[in-house]
Amino acid sequence: MQQAEQLKQDLDYVVGAVRRHDRSAGVPSIYFMWAAIIAVGWALPDFAPQLAAPFWVLFGIGGGLVSIWLAARDTKHSGSVDQAHGRRHGLHWLVTGAAFLVCWLPVMRGAPIETAVGNFMLVAAISYALAGVHLERPLLWTGLLMLAAYVVLTMFAWPYTWTATGLLVAIALAWAGFSSQRSRSPVHPE
Amino acid sequence: MKALDGLDSAFEHRARLAIGVLLARHDEISFARFKQSLSLTDGNLGAQLRKLEDAGYLALRRDFVERKPVTWYRLTEAGRDALDSHLAALQAMIATATG
Repeated sequence: MQQAEQLKQDLDYVVGAVRRHDRSAGVPSIYFMWAAIIAVGWALPDFAPQLAAPFWVLFGIGGGLVSIWLAARDTKHSGSVDQAHGRRHGLHWLVTGAAFLVCWLPVMRGAPIETAVGNFMLVAAISYALAGVHLERPLLWTGLLMLAAYVVLTMFAWPYTWTATGLLVAIALAWAGFSSQRSRSPVHPE
Repeated sequence: MKALDGLDSAFEHRARLAIGVLLARHDEISFARFKQSLSLTDGNLGAQLRKLEDAGYLALRRDFVERKPVTWYRLTEAGRDALDSHLAALQAMIATATG
């Protein structure tokens, strides 16, 4: 009986250590960077539509590359390397990038540009929400916000919907960044 | 009891079992991260890691992060096999005890 109690305590200790280790709420610097990119990039269709495409080509790809670098740097600082987790992140955002490109197909075949922007918002919403479910919980709220914005975009012709959505998403991402920063306990080198 | 045959003395200490389980879930973990996750002192953690290393279950590499030395640990193939056997034996033991 005493042995069983000892075994239970040992397993509780192991479970506690694994749970403590698994707390991952993302990399704050990545959230802050995308908050800035989205705030600017989503305002462009309202104020300077001709700049939107070049902006997203430059900052979409550049932001992705900087995100990879920031994540690798964070991995080293956090003291835990998980290649499978990194591959899952990479694959998720790669598929998202491919889906964004596919959004332009209807426009290339002559459909009005509104078709593409609606698709773009829906893809972004699903991608962020699913990232929130499977990868980093704070992204769930940004995804749901985008989904609500897609509904507004589709159902009503409100002015500055893109700018307002971009700002809301940026605030949600910044909030996620701050909460991620707070929940982290720094790992000091040996 | 047959299940007891599979138990590995290297993983009988709860800290060493936790080290094994954490490394089975992640590729590499640093000394500092272990210290934080397991709430152990430097000396105790170092001793437990050394026991697993001596058994051939852990491999380590030394690296620098912002000019500070960091020691990274990973499970060897032998360590992974031994941990699998140990966990299977534990499961069998619990199943026997609970009927």
